[in-house]
Amino acid sequence: MKVTCPSCGLVGKVTFEHVYDASTKVVKIRNLTKTFGRFTAVEALNLTIFKGEIYGLLGPNGSGKSTIIKMLCGLLRPSKGSAEIFGQQLPCKPMMQKVGYMPQDTAIYLENTVHENLQFFGGVYGLPKDILEKKEQEMLRFVNLQDWRDSLVSTLSGGMRHRLSLACALIHEPSLVFLDEPTVGVDPELRALFWGYFESLAEKGVTVIITTHYMDEADHCSRVGLLRKGRLIAEGRPTDLKQQTQTQSLEQAFLSLTRGNET
Amino acid sequence: MRLQRTLAFSRRTLLQFRHDRRTFAFVLVMPLLMILIFGYTFGGDVQGIALEMVNQDMGIPQGFLPQLPDGLFLANDITENLNEETLSIHINSNREDARQRVHDGNAWVAIVYPENFTQTFLTAILQPGTIPPPKIELYLDGTNPTIVAAVMKEITGAIQNTLSELSASLNITETNMPITVDQVYVYGGGETRFIDYFAPGVVSFAIMMVTTMITIILFVNERRNGTLQRLLVSPASEAEIVVGYALAFAVIGIIQSIVVLVAAILLFDITIVGNILLALLVILLLAFGHQGLGILLSAGAKNELQAIQFIPLILFPSILLAGLFWPIESIPSYLQPLSYLIPLRYGIDAERAIMLRGWGIGEIWIDLFVLVLFAVLTLSASVLLLKRKN
Repeated sequence: MKVTCPSCGLVGKVTFEHVYDASTKVVKIRNLTKTFGRFTAVEALNLTIFKGEIYGLLGPNGSGKSTIIKMLCGLLRPSKGSAEIFGQQLPCKPMMQKVGYMPQDTAIYLENTVHENLQFFGGVYGLPKDILEKKEQEMLRFVNLQDWRDSLVSTLSGGMRHRLSLACALIHEPSLVFLDEPTVGVDPELRALFWGYFESLAEKGVTVIITTHYMDEADHCSRVGLLRKGRLIAEGRPTDLKQQTQTQSLEQAFLSLTRGNET
Repeated sequence: MRLQRTLAFSRRTLLQFRHDRRTFAFVLVMPLLMILIFGYTFGGDVQGIALEMVNQDMGIPQGFLPQLPDGLFLANDITENLNEETLSIHINSNREDARQRVHDGNAWVAIVYPENFTQTFLTAILQPGTIPPPKIELYLDGTNPTIVAAVMKEITGAIQNTLSELSASLNITETNMPITVDQVYVYGGGETRFIDYFAPGVVSFAIMMVTTMITIILFVNERRNGTLQRLLVSPASEAEIVVGYALAFAVIGIIQSIVVLVAAILLFDITIVGNILLALLVILLLAFGHQGLGILLSAGAKNELQAIQFIPLILFPSILLAGLFWPIESIPSYLQPLSYLIPLRYGIDAERAIMLRGWGIGEIWIDLFVLVLFAVLTLSASVLLLKRKN
């Protein structure tokens, strides 16, 4: 079913009230802190994210969104506190088999073809040959790149590269997906398409954690955490946050919350 | 470490080269060009060195020696054994004029045989200890060592040949000869050309340059494009990434070396005396070590432009200090110890020993040991580097 989002006009398979499994905790963050020298990027963060959620980490540039994702992926070492995924204390290399990660940069090999990129990332996750074949077909269909299978990535458009990047993050069927600003520099049509993808993942029980500074698209999240200067200033379902602050959009909600925070 | 994952890295890297034909061409063309340019320009033996010949040798009086009824003109015999391609011989009857011509730069060398050359020579053999051995006077323009070396090689060679011919007809052993030139070639038999000496060096140098440079650039790109982050988030271990890349460069190195050696054999007819598999093993060790070095250096470059700045840093010490063109002995003695710090030195040394002398592991184990050590150190340091987190 295709619907148009009333708040942002995006077209996609959008369900505004996403149902998730609140009995299974996928990510558990306790008192997580990250400092770079004197600068505190993330301060005493507590967060629990459940199975099948699309959890949006929301905040302006420099609010610590990417730092949180990088700590959860094991790319950065927390200064204090702890993080668990699937009940396992991080860092935990074998657990990474269940994790998909799409970095801010497109992060695919430009001098290889679409096919070679998918095969490579499938190989890195140790998929057996026959399953990898099947998953590659599935991914090509999913991001609609069947006709570009043997093209060099350097010849593809930005949008196609973004789609391939997503496919590379998903080829090993992860149960938890980190998407770091997946829609930056992406045109509105592709953004709608991407949110459609994310929703279809969540429907299958995959937990999706997204960072974004586009407040409008965060309406599609099951819950959002609003970040400011490395601190979580509010958390909840988008509708609840808007109601709580008596605003029309998440952007207004955010502004009203930051004002409230300062006084 | 899982093989499938490791091979995924090697496979992708090799496929990248298959698409990027130009870079792959560079891998092959760079050493081929070196072989061609240096083989043809540097490698040719010196030819047509102007020589002034003053032959005052009167031979021997008739009946001086019953074994030699036809008499003997030793100086003539030596002259006949000189190579006329290497030396352009001008006969001059005046000793002073010949010297003057060297002075004036019209000739590189003047050679003077004294009047009693043959007679003194024979007397010195037949009545040992009575008179000093005969002398050949050489006036050399010593400004060009290459020419001096060529002249000396030519003249000592001619004397040696003449003496060994003579020893047969005089029925005496060569060791009794008053003019003895102590030049015994253990390897190469005096026929080794520059290109024979150069080819094993180029093979080692090419794999060093290609592996280091391409690794630096590949890893700078991995970091910059974010693909490295993605790999570090995957279950693949850092060791798998490093070894996967190393295997790809091993394949590239083997292809490159075979192409270069085949070209050198076909074009310059170089001789490989030793075990070619051992030679390829040295190539592999060089590839592994320099791949590790490339990863380490890549951490010091933020983009490709900065990566390129490493070229002279790697290039010049290797060219100047590792014995690629000149023997290490020709480097100033206070700089020579530095060459021990350059891994390429051991690679070149080992390749030459294998290809020119036919040496085996027993003789080159020190080189192999250093190269293995270098590879182990740089590769494990790169694994640690990739593991390092903020």
